Amino acid sequence: MNDERMEEQASLHVLGALNPDEAREFKQAMQADPELQKFVARLSTATGALAGSVEAAEPPPQLRAKILAQFGEKQKIISLPQRGGIAFWLPWSWATCVTILCVLLFTQESRLRLTVGSQAQQINNLNQLVQSLSATTNDLQQTVLALQATNRLANLRIAMLNSVVADAPKTVAVSLWDNEKQNGVLVGQSLKALAADRDYELWVMDENQIPVAAGVFHMDASGAIRMDFKPSHAIKTAGKFCVTEEIKGGVASPTLKNLVLASN
Amino acid sequence: MSLCVSSDLSSVPRIFYAEPAVSLPNFLERVNETTATDRDVELLGRIASQDRAAFAEFYDRHATLMFSVASKILNNASEAEDVLQETFVQVWQKARNFNPKLGKASSWVAIMVRNKAIDRIRASQRRSRLADEAGAEFSIVSEVSDTANEAILGHDKAKLIQSAIVELPVEQRRAIELAYFSGLTQDEISKKLNEPLGTIKARIRRGLLKLRDQLEGGL
Repeated sequence: MNDERMEEQASLHVLGALNPDEAREFKQAMQADPELQKFVARLSTATGALAGSVEAAEPPPQLRAKILAQFGEKQKIISLPQRGGIAFWLPWSWATCVTILCVLLFTQESRLRLTVGSQAQQINNLNQLVQSLSATTNDLQQTVLALQATNRLANLRIAMLNSVVADAPKTVAVSLWDNEKQNGVLVGQSLKALAADRDYELWVMDENQIPVAAGVFHMDASGAIRMDFKPSHAIKTAGKFCVTEEIKGGVASPTLKNLVLASN
Repeated sequence: MSLCVSSDLSSVPRIFYAEPAVSLPNFLERVNETTATDRDVELLGRIASQDRAAFAEFYDRHATLMFSVASKILNNASEAEDVLQETFVQVWQKARNFNPKLGKASSWVAIMVRNKAIDRIRASQRRSRLADEAGAEFSIVSEVSDTANEAILGHDKAKLIQSAIVELPVEQRRAIELAYFSGLTQDEISKKLNEPLGTIKARIRRGLLKLRDQLEGGL
């Protein structure tokens, strides 16, 4: 290949007029030859000027933005970390904080709603429990009252006092004794009237069979008596009841020979 | 294969060693042109690093030239826009492949947009029609007021370039234009102009060398 031949190939190369095989061969030759590269570079200046010799045509203004936009996304990705100042990150930080706050508030509100609902349910349950307990309490109170009544009856002692005098067989009396209250009632009839200086005296026998004076009463012609009585000292367990005729005002110790009435 | 293996310059064709004399004004213009070229090299280096700002500046510097070439070859504004867009995508992707030792950036992008436009014509099988049109009239305008070179080099340089091209012998100029703007191969040009292949090669070689010499001497 002589110089003229190489100049022709270089000229056709810069004009793009070589056949594909020739173009491939020429490129290989150029890579191995720095002088040929320089020669091609100088010819390229001529073809560059040739290209610019055509009538000028301005591309549409919007084409620039369209072409640059194709590489905009990558540019944004590259440029984003470069905006490292506080002014850039501050709005994002605020937005993040507000978002987190909203999430926390929403979560808290949801929890409060659940808690309020749960507590309202608990209050309803407690109200129902109170009503149930109130009814139970009433029942218990009734039971207690019934038990108290039963207990009170248990503390009462009823004794029949019969006549021990031969000439007054119809004389009779009933003693009702409340051991808890330590008092009682004596009801009698067909008792013999007494002289003005004489009284009947009631006695209550304690657990040791010791007579305790429980009251005196005078009897007129009616023969009937109803008397509330109370022993002179406390009686732990009332045994028997008896009535004697004594001097007016009574005595400290009963006169047995004057016994009028006595319980079994 | 080396074209310059001898230290005896007298044995080497003039085109490989001759440096034209340069006047002071021409020297200053060449300094400015070198600065502009350096700027393109710098921009392409930054584009290789995906610098969008550099890409935008490079677009502003060369879009008119590239769109003018595409429009001239395709004679269709819409297709020229597509080709321009495709070529800039290629610039973005291939910027690191640019070698300033093989020519200026403007020549590099011009040949890229030219090749894409020619490929599009070949794909659409419109080449014969365009070749006919190219044969009927020259692609290069004689008036220099509105050429693409003016956007890059300014009015005075564009006028010098235009004069150098127009002053080429008609047969040389037509063969060069058919190759560059119509995308015809040397065989196709030979058939188109009904001239021997060797004649076509010689015309193209002589025409380009003359144009190069005039441009190097005047710019």
